[in-house]
Amino acid sequence: MTQDRIIEALLAFIENDDASDEEFDALALTLFAWQFEHNEPYRRFCQQREKTPRRIKSWRDIPAVPINAFKDLTLSCSDPEQAERVFMTSGTTQGGVHGRSYHADIRVYDASMIANFRHRFMGEYDRIRMGILFPDEIAMPNSSLAHYLALAKENFGTDDSHYLLTEDGIDQIRLLTELAHAETSGEPYALLGASYSFVHLLDEMRTMGESAELPPGSRILDTGGFKGQSRELDLDEFYTQLSSTFYVPRDLCINMYGMTELSTQFYDWGNRTCPSVKSGPHWIRTRAIDPLTGEDMPHGETGVLVHCDLAHFNIVSTILTEDAGIMVEDGFLLLGRADGAEAKGCSMAVAEFLKAARN
Amino acid sequence: MASAIERAGYLPGLAPDEVEWQTLAFDRAGAPLEIAVPVLSDAQMAALAARVREASRQCLKPLPVARIIDIIDAAIARLLDRTDPWRRQAEELLPAITGYDSEMIRLGLTEYLKTFRKPQLTRFVAEDFANPQSLDDFQPLPKGGFARAFGPDLLVHIWAGNVPGLPLWSLISGLLVKAGNIGKVPSAEPLFAGLFARLLAEVAPELSDCFAIVWWKGGDSAREAALLREADTVLAYGGNDSLTALRDRLPLTTRYLAHGHKVSFGMVAKDALDTRKAWDAAHKAAYDVVRYDQQGCYSPHLFFVERGGKISPREFSHYVAHELASFQQKFPRRPLSLAEAGDVAAWRHGEEMKSLAGPEREIMSGAAGAWSVSYSEDTDDLAPSGLNRTIRIVAVDTLADAVPRIAPYKALLQTVGIAATPRELFRLAAILGAVGVTRISALGRMTAPEAGWHHDGRFNLLDLVTLTEIEQSAETAADSFAPYVD
Repeated sequence: MTQDRIIEALLAFIENDDASDEEFDALALTLFAWQFEHNEPYRRFCQQREKTPRRIKSWRDIPAVPINAFKDLTLSCSDPEQAERVFMTSGTTQGGVHGRSYHADIRVYDASMIANFRHRFMGEYDRIRMGILFPDEIAMPNSSLAHYLALAKENFGTDDSHYLLTEDGIDQIRLLTELAHAETSGEPYALLGASYSFVHLLDEMRTMGESAELPPGSRILDTGGFKGQSRELDLDEFYTQLSSTFYVPRDLCINMYGMTELSTQFYDWGNRTCPSVKSGPHWIRTRAIDPLTGEDMPHGETGVLVHCDLAHFNIVSTILTEDAGIMVEDGFLLLGRADGAEAKGCSMAVAEFLKAARN
Repeated sequence: MASAIERAGYLPGLAPDEVEWQTLAFDRAGAPLEIAVPVLSDAQMAALAARVREASRQCLKPLPVARIIDIIDAAIARLLDRTDPWRRQAEELLPAITGYDSEMIRLGLTEYLKTFRKPQLTRFVAEDFANPQSLDDFQPLPKGGFARAFGPDLLVHIWAGNVPGLPLWSLISGLLVKAGNIGKVPSAEPLFAGLFARLLAEVAPELSDCFAIVWWKGGDSAREAALLREADTVLAYGGNDSLTALRDRLPLTTRYLAHGHKVSFGMVAKDALDTRKAWDAAHKAAYDVVRYDQQGCYSPHLFFVERGGKISPREFSHYVAHELASFQQKFPRRPLSLAEAGDVAAWRHGEEMKSLAGPEREIMSGAAGAWSVSYSEDTDDLAPSGLNRTIRIVAVDTLADAVPRIAPYKALLQTVGIAATPRELFRLAAILGAVGVTRISALGRMTAPEAGWHHDGRFNLLDLVTLTEIEQSAETAADSFAPYVD
């Protein structure tokens, strides 16, 4: 198997909406064998757990790499120096250390993003005028979200789509011009960006005493949560405010759940109720597990999410997140981070120790 | 069988139907249990504080400390009697609340309560007061004059965590210095303090207004303030963040004694590592890990193990793993919440990742992650374990080599369990004390401090009192006003 053949198979699989469970499993196992062979730290990780390609029969058995490992290990099936793109985590939740994902060939990431975005966000439109509340790829070349949003703008935005952030924050004049244009022209408008940027936007709109009656068909995409970069808003409150400020029904306020450690994103079908059900396309699968045993949680019980993303072929396809969730019909509920238990006694927990030791 | 809903707290002067109750649900051991905790209004809290303060003045302050010891001893005797209803209630409910293995709780409770019997309490007082009678009356001072120790009228305790029985240390300390006591129980284990208070009131009805046990939801600063503004002294346990926040809300004149979370560890010298003794040391080290799943401030996070014995540090780590596995049969770990399981998994994954780097590391884990031992050679600084039976074992050339690594964490250190020769013990104690360690115990005894220990190196009783001194000048001057003056 060569990298070209893998890419070819993946691109075909992404195109194939009718792919069966067996086909998913087959490709997942092929990729596992490929990664086991070419990704040395991952091979050692698997060997330590006595999981080798010979012993794995289903995607569910593939050892999931904790996302923390992306900081410590160079996980790549090809020379990382030759990677076409390297995406890094922001490091905000990891003490400034960045996790890295090496993309040997960005075509698979792009194909995954484009097919899925069209299906989950665009509705009946081929293109829509966009305002993006995030820096562009020149400002943030190692941000997977910057790349994602650039793909959105390039493939689905009209020519007069714009970035609405400058180095000093939200470009108010541009923003108000865009909103006014949408209101007068009746042309649907899409706002996309980091969740915390939307909080800043809501605050600015309130300060200016502004709201905008965006035309029917307009939509909003937020992602990533607040991460301590803005006020923490209750999700219900967040979508209520978005909806009332921009006249976008909560059905069209879409939340995207993505990670630097993946090449595929999850979406909900709007946020009429929170937490919304998230789901992904046919080339990604999710389990909710007991983090200690690795076993699936009983149906309806909270576990830690594991994703098997075929599109993340050059790194590792199966990762263990730090996100809590519940598997439901048609997807999963995302419930926030699953770590940082309060110490039950008077012994010091790791997080508190690190903090105390820094003081 | 107890009813499904138990009431926590102890509120002298307040009938249950005058108080609002909130229910806390526990389902740790597969036996659902609900505990009703009281939510007092500001006025009720103020009235309670006034009542306890006044009762401590009227009823407790005049009692000789020897009598108080007798009363506590009588209450403790009831709790040591396994047929006593109070004891039975504790044995039945504490496992359901905390999830700890019931046999571990039973053994732990007995061992713990033994430290509060009369001989131990007498020693406890004598530890801090050269002349215990100075709690009862003015006693002569070597420098001249007299002094008497007064406890606060109202001592407020803010307890934290779920280690069964922990509130007894400070509550009994408060009683011994004749303080009126109001304790706030944590949601993690709201029951035992109230149970003890009710038992105490049964044993000594004359003291029944001298203490109270309350609750509020962590972070309910309004209710907290209602009690704190009444306190003379506040004794608080918890994490550094919550302790700092608490300090910032106290009036400057309120005395504040804080016990933050701590880190403890063990040291095994090469002399303890011959083929016979090493198993014993490993057994005891594992026992310290297993007891209350490392939730105590005295629980070990890691063991430094010296090279040069017959048994290598790596072999010792295998011994400890073996012992942890067998303890899992005898005293299974309590069920973990998802967040706790996530922390344990994250710690273990982190250790696993490091162990991929080379053969100088090794990680051993029990089925379903019930325990983990991470062995490493030399490279580790002091770092906490993931708790809940996760332990790090670090090989060192000499135990003294480990000291510079722990020195930066001076403010966080507490207990060191040591297995070494007498000469080595005292040599290590000197350098450990200098970097902030306050308690040294045998392996296997780390989680059971002896009666009269100095928690975090402080004086449990002396820190609570103020001395009133009659200087010699006053005594001499008084003579001139005596009716019998010549």
